[in-house]
Amino acid sequence: MFEDTILILFISLCTAFASEAILYLLVYRTETYRRLKATVEKQSKKLEKKKELIGDRPTGQKASKKLEKAEEQLKNVSRDLNMVRMKSVVVIGFTFTALLGMFNTIFDGRVVAKLPFTPFGVLQGISHRNLMGTDPTDCSFIFLYILCTMSIRENVQKLLGFGPSRTASKIGGAGFFSPPQTK
Amino acid sequence: VQGQRSTELSMAMAGKGSATEPLWKKAIVRQEKWDSKEDFLDIIYWMRQLLSVVTGVLWGIFPMQGFIGMGLFLLLNAGSVYLYSVAYQKVDEEEFGGTWEILKEGFMTSYTLFLVNWIMSYTTFHFG
Repeated sequence: MFEDTILILFISLCTAFASEAILYLLVYRTETYRRLKATVEKQSKKLEKKKELIGDRPTGQKASKKLEKAEEQLKNVSRDLNMVRMKSVVVIGFTFTALLGMFNTIFDGRVVAKLPFTPFGVLQGISHRNLMGTDPTDCSFIFLYILCTMSIRENVQKLLGFGPSRTASKIGGAGFFSPPQTK
Repeated sequence: VQGQRSTELSMAMAGKGSATEPLWKKAIVRQEKWDSKEDFLDIIYWMRQLLSVVTGVLWGIFPMQGFIGMGLFLLLNAGSVYLYSVAYQKVDEEEFGGTWEILKEGFMTSYTLFLVNWIMSYTTFHFG
């Protein structure tokens, strides 16, 4: 079981680094992405400063319209940035889903770990997927893999310095396909 | 320019924080003022990840089980972040958008990291 958990962790690490490497080659180093990212950072910082200056004071109609317009502009640029990234993310998604299918077959029916807790409801359906027996603390490959991926992916992105700043994510809007918050 | 440089140097030596000071130093030394909010939130983020790894491994060794283990982790995680921010660094939470913004920084990633470490350590030490 120990070897299985290490292997799954290793697979998650590799897929996280591989995705970021592919995204770097296809997206992050392109002029379009860099330009859009710089614009988003600049505009979001300006907008945050404007909001800080105004604070809780009541604003006139003109000032609030200006602020709304700036927010709208920022959201549009953020959306363009996400669109540039999305195409590659979808391709990577398909590729790694296929890989995941392969690993799923290899680990099918195998208890890869023991859970120190009993998952509830829907989670048990995932943690006990394709496993024999009724012990709810038996852990399947897919459950551990999902947890590993969720924990590793953002850390890898932060370590490598990819993704927008917190300000940009907060003000530009965090949609389903937006990159997670990093520095 | 020379006067400015010597001021910066003495500030750095006094541990008052500067743009070139490494993040881990800023984390240990109490900062009078955070020039960069991003730095403080980064420290919170990485501190949480480290705590998750350590807690996960320890919980797996003891072993802590069930929702008690999970609850204790959540308490420890939130409590340490709060104490570090408010009691040690004495930051003005409003500058960061409120206590909630500080508390939620890196929470989900740290929680899943804790679960991974907890599961792996529990499996390794009790099921070979």
